[in-house]
Amino acid sequence: MSNTIDIDKNSTAIKSRGSALNINRVLKHATIFIVLVLAWEIGSRIGWLDPLFFPKPTDILASIFRIYVTQGNVWFHLYASLGLVFAGFIAGSVLGVVLGSLVGFSAVIRRFIKPYVIVLEATPRIAVAPLLIALLGFGAASKIAIIMLVCFFAPFINTLSGVINVNEEKLELFESLGASKFQIFTKLVLPDAIPVIMAGERLALTAALSGVLVAEFIQRDQGIGSLILTYTRNLNMASAFACIFTLTLIGFLIFRGMEWLDNRIAFWNHDDGMTRVGSRSKQRWLKQHGEPQ
Amino acid sequence: MTNAVASDLVESAEQVVAAQGVAKSFSGGSVIALQDANFTVKQGSFVSLVGPSGCGKSTLLRLIAGLIEPTQGHIEVHQTQVKRARQDVAMMFQRATLLEWRTAIENVLLPTEIRRTPSSEDKNRAMELLNLVGLGDFAFSFPAQLSGGMQQRVALARLLQTGADILLLDEPFGALDEFTREKLNLELLRIVSEVKATTIFVTHNISEAIFLADEVYVMTPRPGQIAKIVPVNLQRPRELSVQTSAEFNELVAQVRETLGAL
Ligand SMILES: Nc1ncnc2c1ncn2[C@@H]1O[C@H](COP(=O)(O)OP(=O)(O)O)[C@@H](O)[C@H]1O
Ligand SMILES: [Mg+2]
Repeated sequence: MSNTIDIDKNSTAIKSRGSALNINRVLKHATIFIVLVLAWEIGSRIGWLDPLFFPKPTDILASIFRIYVTQGNVWFHLYASLGLVFAGFIAGSVLGVVLGSLVGFSAVIRRFIKPYVIVLEATPRIAVAPLLIALLGFGAASKIAIIMLVCFFAPFINTLSGVINVNEEKLELFESLGASKFQIFTKLVLPDAIPVIMAGERLALTAALSGVLVAEFIQRDQGIGSLILTYTRNLNMASAFACIFTLTLIGFLIFRGMEWLDNRIAFWNHDDGMTRVGSRSKQRWLKQHGEPQ
Repeated sequence: MTNAVASDLVESAEQVVAAQGVAKSFSGGSVIALQDANFTVKQGSFVSLVGPSGCGKSTLLRLIAGLIEPTQGHIEVHQTQVKRARQDVAMMFQRATLLEWRTAIENVLLPTEIRRTPSSEDKNRAMELLNLVGLGDFAFSFPAQLSGGMQQRVALARLLQTGADILLLDEPFGALDEFTREKLNLELLRIVSEVKATTIFVTHNISEAIFLADEVYVMTPRPGQIAKIVPVNLQRPRELSVQTSAEFNELVAQVRETLGAL
């Protein structure tokens, strides 16, 4: 079309993430880190820090090497814990999203359930853990139940609020287009809620990691939580720290993993996500319809 | 119906929207949003609704769109009473209300998708419409990647994709800056004459109302009503410069007088 007026093309310029690593900053951080670790090492050696509670970093390093390589016992426990984390997380958060959608869909259920939600939300979930064990006995079932419990609420509440808070104007648009209730739900309400659901999932997965530790502290049979407890009771603090750092790494990986997932699923909240999905959809169009004129 | 075919045909070529004694109140009658509206809109004509906020402009559009029902009187579109949202009437809002998770073209295709699985033809039509509003190059951009004016263009293309011949626009460019608004108004005039649509356009800008319209419905508040219908016989196609003509200013004065703002 030649008779249309030119358009501000700047608005599509995608902001670059601009993370050419700043060497200076990295050096600064590395220096501070090394100084801290050295101070810890020296402090433990000359007795400023109680080596019982603050084992030397070199000892921790040796423990890491032992539990991962020479003795290699951490793998079994890690495997056990992570299995529970994912089972409990998936069960709990899927339940949260499904129930959140159902409750959000019906105003009647919503009104009926609201007081219970408030009461349950105010109750610390972990407090119920011993009851779950009493109910389900020792073993994987009660551990998974505890993790489900801590994973359930964030996705449930977020899904519910995401589903309830639909933009009135968009709703009116759908109504003016003659959309059915089902279409409104699948084409508007649910996708609109996805970013806030994802935020709930992120909280849930972090909670799952704490949940598995609590479960394993209570039932000390296997898993990284029981390993930490055993090491601490035997005053083997270096190995306990080795386990804790393992959890740090897992927590970090979970965070990054969820970021990656959010970028795939709620892509329209990310510049690079939009670019990626947009160009893929353009390729698909070109394949089916040829060059748009 | 069968014995009045001839006269129906004549009528359908003439008036596409007709309101008789239409009133709408809310909150059990305590808020009268609109009272005693009577008008007929001719096929292919452009009507502006102008008036201060709260005078029932949006209420009137919603009534025509079948989103709400009148408390009194009745509204006919193409000689049938409006009872619910219908395919020959489509609406556009002050905000673009695009779905952020859909590309521009997917947004344009939404009205089709609600009726059926879009065919190859539907998709090509959507692309044509994006070209018509000047956004052909942005078909695969997401709303967040577009400026406010571009988002309203997508909304306009989506409006046209419905295939409706009656277009209701509720302050569609009201949130945009003056320059973009003028630009889009000109394009709107070109486009609705190209697709031969009947248009009802809400604004609270008097000059804009007159510049666009064949008829200006001047609305006044408390209670909301159509106080006067002002015909606009300015030549088409119109240039922005018509706004400085004596004839135009005479129309402005007439509208202002009705609004009591002179
Ligand atoms: N859903 C509603 N419930 C109660 N009052 C309403 C509703 N919609 C509109 N009104 C009232 O009706 C009057 C006209 O509103 P509206 O048609 O939106 O005016 P305009 O679009 O001209 O600004 C206003 O006083 C408004 O508060
Ligand atoms: Mg309004």
